[in-house]
Amino acid sequence: MKTDIIQLFENPYLALGVSIAVIMAYLSVNAIMLIWLERKLSARIQRRIGPQRGPFGLMQQIFDMGKLLSKELLTPKHANKLLYVIAPILVFAPVVALSSLFPITSTYIFHDFNIAIVLILAISGINVIGIFLAGWGSNNKYALLGAVRSVAQNISYEIPLILSVIPIVMITRTMSLYDITLAQETYPFILVQPIALIIFIISATAETNRAPFDIPEAESELVAGFHTEYSGMRFGLFFFAEYSNMIFACALATVLFLGGWHGPFLPDAVWFFIKVYALIVLMMWFRWTFPRLRFDQLMKFAWVVLVPLSLINLLITTLVLKIV
Amino acid sequence: MDWFSQYGFLGALLLSGIVLGAIPVVLPLIISPRARGRKSRETYECGMDTIGSAWVRFDIAYYLFALIFVAFEVDVLYILPIAVIYNSGTYVWRDFIELTIFVGILFLAIVYAWSKGVLHWRSR
Repeated sequence: MKTDIIQLFENPYLALGVSIAVIMAYLSVNAIMLIWLERKLSARIQRRIGPQRGPFGLMQQIFDMGKLLSKELLTPKHANKLLYVIAPILVFAPVVALSSLFPITSTYIFHDFNIAIVLILAISGINVIGIFLAGWGSNNKYALLGAVRSVAQNISYEIPLILSVIPIVMITRTMSLYDITLAQETYPFILVQPIALIIFIISATAETNRAPFDIPEAESELVAGFHTEYSGMRFGLFFFAEYSNMIFACALATVLFLGGWHGPFLPDAVWFFIKVYALIVLMMWFRWTFPRLRFDQLMKFAWVVLVPLSLINLLITTLVLKIV
Repeated sequence: MDWFSQYGFLGALLLSGIVLGAIPVVLPLIISPRARGRKSRETYECGMDTIGSAWVRFDIAYYLFALIFVAFEVDVLYILPIAVIYNSGTYVWRDFIELTIFVGILFLAIVYAWSKGVLHWRSR
């Protein structure tokens, strides 16, 4: 039986405060740990040692946070001040609301929406506006190029992403993430929808602007892409949002395809996070395995390979559902 | 369940995201130093003096992608409500046939865009 956080505290305002505190505490620790993990992992893959400050280099990220906080916030002279300032906040804003949508345990959840999938797709779309405002507002050629590429890429990969979710909705006939997880009690949907999972992972990697799809911030050609002009904590917000979005993409994949909290022996929340972080390690592994694509190859891959493939997968699912 | 606990909760979390995002941007204004260099607020262009504004026209190909996206996204969202009631027993084979026609038209949209050269990046 599920209890949502408002029923638990019996006071919506108290529940809201606790939710925000829990989510922000988790996301902050998560972002710091993921940056550490990424740096350590990439160092190991390249036969380097990686960050060394503190035990296992764990203190490195804490110091970096302090450094970012004490850096001056430069606003370029020719930038559009308003757009430039609100862009990182807009990229960061959906993070808190998004994390409240995932069912992490079978007993306590933040809230169970019956249209959770649509909400996740809608709220994560706000991100794209922020990225474009950042690129346009900074009045920098690299930033503008990075921003237009990023928007084109994000909107193109959103379609295979949604199309790979639809077969799951068809099988379970619900859009509530809690009910979708419940439906996977006997077997996870990776067994019936492997192609959808592959499409989902590829699109999610592109949606989070990660290598091999990190064309918006391709260091060798665009300096840093849309956040070239950002310094200090404004840059930190983009970074924070990027790592939080990785968590959301992997959490959604976990709920839809890997059976969410289901698993033997261990408590359900532990299983959920094991699956999420396994997917994140996979995404970090991608970065050091595949070379970066060229922009036209990237767009062609989305529209010529992924979208038709996901449409065929959708049709096969509808047919099989009718026959079985 | 009342309205607040449904969507007001989510809306409040979204608003709190904006407030929490503003804190780390405001905080350095108090604790960070101020630069006095003459060029520190110039637009970054690999160390050279900035030439012109970045607010220029860019490739129309991006606009075409946006157009197919809008057409596609709306169509794909129409499939979601169908997916929720798909194979629920009310319509025997009708929902399958209608969905196939719908997806078939979506396929045609890609074929059309491809034949019009939207996906083909011309070098100019």
